[in-house]
Amino acid sequence: MTDQRPSLLRAEVHRFRSRRFIRILVLLALGGFVVGLVIAGTQFAKPSAAGLADAQRIMAEAGQQQEQFRQECLKQPQPPGQTAEQTCGPPFEASGLGVEDFMRTKPFVFADTAPGAAGGVAAGTAALLFLIGATWVGAEWSSKSMTALLFWEPRRLKVIATKLAVLLGAAALIGAAAQALWLLGAKALAATRGSTGRLPDGFYGDLLAIQARGVLLVVVAGALGFALANLVRNTGAALGLGFVYFAVVENAVRVLRPKWEPGLLTNNAAALVSKDGLRLYLNETHVDGQGQLVSVREIVLSHLHGGVVLVLTAAVLVAVGGVLFARRDLQ
Amino acid sequence: MAVIEVNDATKTYRRRRRPPQKALDGLDLHVAEGGVHGFLGPNGSGKTTTIRALLGLVRADSGELRLLGRPVPRDLPQVVGGVGALVETPLFFPTFSGRLNLQLLAETAGVSRVRVEECLELVDLQDRAEDRFKGYSLGMKQRLGIAAALLKSPRLLVLDEPSNGLDPAGIRDVRELIRRLGADGSTTVFLSSHLLAEVEQVCDRVSILARGKCVATGPVHEVLAGRATGEVRLRAPDLAGARAVLEGAGYAVTPVDGALRVQGVTAPAELTRLLADQGHYLEELSPVAADLESAFLELTEDTP
Ligand SMILES: Nc1ncnc2c1ncn2[C@@H]1O[C@H](COP(=O)(O)OP(=O)(O)O)[C@@H](O)[C@H]1O
Ligand SMILES: [Mg+2]
Repeated sequence: MTDQRPSLLRAEVHRFRSRRFIRILVLLALGGFVVGLVIAGTQFAKPSAAGLADAQRIMAEAGQQQEQFRQECLKQPQPPGQTAEQTCGPPFEASGLGVEDFMRTKPFVFADTAPGAAGGVAAGTAALLFLIGATWVGAEWSSKSMTALLFWEPRRLKVIATKLAVLLGAAALIGAAAQALWLLGAKALAATRGSTGRLPDGFYGDLLAIQARGVLLVVVAGALGFALANLVRNTGAALGLGFVYFAVVENAVRVLRPKWEPGLLTNNAAALVSKDGLRLYLNETHVDGQGQLVSVREIVLSHLHGGVVLVLTAAVLVAVGGVLFARRDLQ
Repeated sequence: MAVIEVNDATKTYRRRRRPPQKALDGLDLHVAEGGVHGFLGPNGSGKTTTIRALLGLVRADSGELRLLGRPVPRDLPQVVGGVGALVETPLFFPTFSGRLNLQLLAETAGVSRVRVEECLELVDLQDRAEDRFKGYSLGMKQRLGIAAALLKSPRLLVLDEPSNGLDPAGIRDVRELIRRLGADGSTTVFLSSHLLAEVEQVCDRVSILARGKCVATGPVHEVLAGRATGEVRLRAPDLAGARAVLEGAGYAVTPVDGALRVQGVTAPAELTRLLADQGHYLEELSPVAADLESAFLELTEDTP
């Protein structure tokens, strides 16, 4: 009765595609993305000639008021040890404000927004894949169909590795699709609600690199959800653990042990998908190179740092879950 | 050839904050190919544990286990294609249809879709095959489990208490199916049950399990009925005379209301001849029917 080749991989892909809850999650996320894009559309508008003139007028008025206030401030006696600049602020021209800051609705500028938001889209997709990864294997455990599968393929590591491979493949696809959608959406916003803006040299190379690292983040998040649910053998418990970690542990570390911040997953995720890594300012007292006591230290988490920490964390959790699964007595 | 061989297997479950639970205690089991082999024992005697250990779901602490002649769990990947199993309650994905659940397993093993439909038909589920598994009645779930176990057209079919949750008609159907499979010559059925009547009805051979040990094994009628070896009841006009003749020939005889009970009879015809030679003609000679229930209880009762 074997007129087709046995293939656990094909069966698991079939299983993944048939999982209704996963499909619902993907559709909900897609809906959320579209709604977000529409809402963004209402926040931006192409500047009209009249709007531009309005903004220029408001800017001029604001500049005058500010300058008046500054002049009065400078006439007052200054507190000892402070320069006039420190007390009364810089001249208006040096404030860095441009005419677009005085527009009632700003235009969408592709060059400014697309790269940063690509990281945001990656973070959102990562959360989705964490959920999908957890429910993918968690539901197998609670229904015990994981055990039933072992009557058909007793090599447990092969079973779990195949399920993980299917998930990671799906995560890469979904992550890449989300980035492609964002690129299209951003182009559409630029065309209808703003402009492309001035693209610096190597803009698309940088953007694509951010998006590629975003896909990696999504894949890692899927692996983390999968690994946790496989460890505790239950979707809900895995999500609970995720919540405790992200909502409680990370915040506690930020407050109580800022030194550990470079190890936090969210910081490393941010570092991975930002353009030049993540700058952290750690509140701590130490002596700097000039023998001065300073209380803020700046640390830059590189892409590499972010990627390595995330991948290692996921790999360790997956491996521990796999080893336990291979040795466990199953009911 | 033996399809199942277990030599001196032990298994103790470690439990959290409770003493460990011994489930297998030097189990020996030998199941020859062909027919239906019953695995009879009270609840908690270790039937499911034995099956789980054979299928590699739990690891025996010691002992030697073989399936289809190969040591397991080491060679399980090589033999699993010839073994179909239903262990306790069937384990399927609740929101998938019965058919999809079977198809996924079929793809894993390279079994054709045609075979999936055959097996659904065999257990009479083809009309409900598109319904979600979680909406099935207990009996339908059990039947789907049997269908899954049959998908591979296995040489060895392991069924762990398959009539659990079935209504009387379902039980009858399942027993018929088991008998048919056992008779077709290509499948050996290993049927675990705590129901004496079930084993008696469908099994050719039986092994009886008590507290993790095999206490008896052999053809069903030898093991269960044969326990009361050679006890007959007889009546004759002159009971006292007949008794004297039999005792003279070395039989143990007890009178029981208007009849005699004779123990240690290997050939009843011998009694007839012996008595007739002395002029006693029998009015009744019947073997004392073995009380299966008490034979079973005797075999499995608590003897420390
Ligand atoms: N996972 C487990 N943890 C602890 N004890 C168990 C476990 N599974 C079975 N047992 C115990 O092992 C013994 C044998 O159980 P089992 O093999 O299920 O018997 P049966 O199938 O004959 O009813 C019982 O005492 C049972 O309570
Ligand atoms: Mg049992």
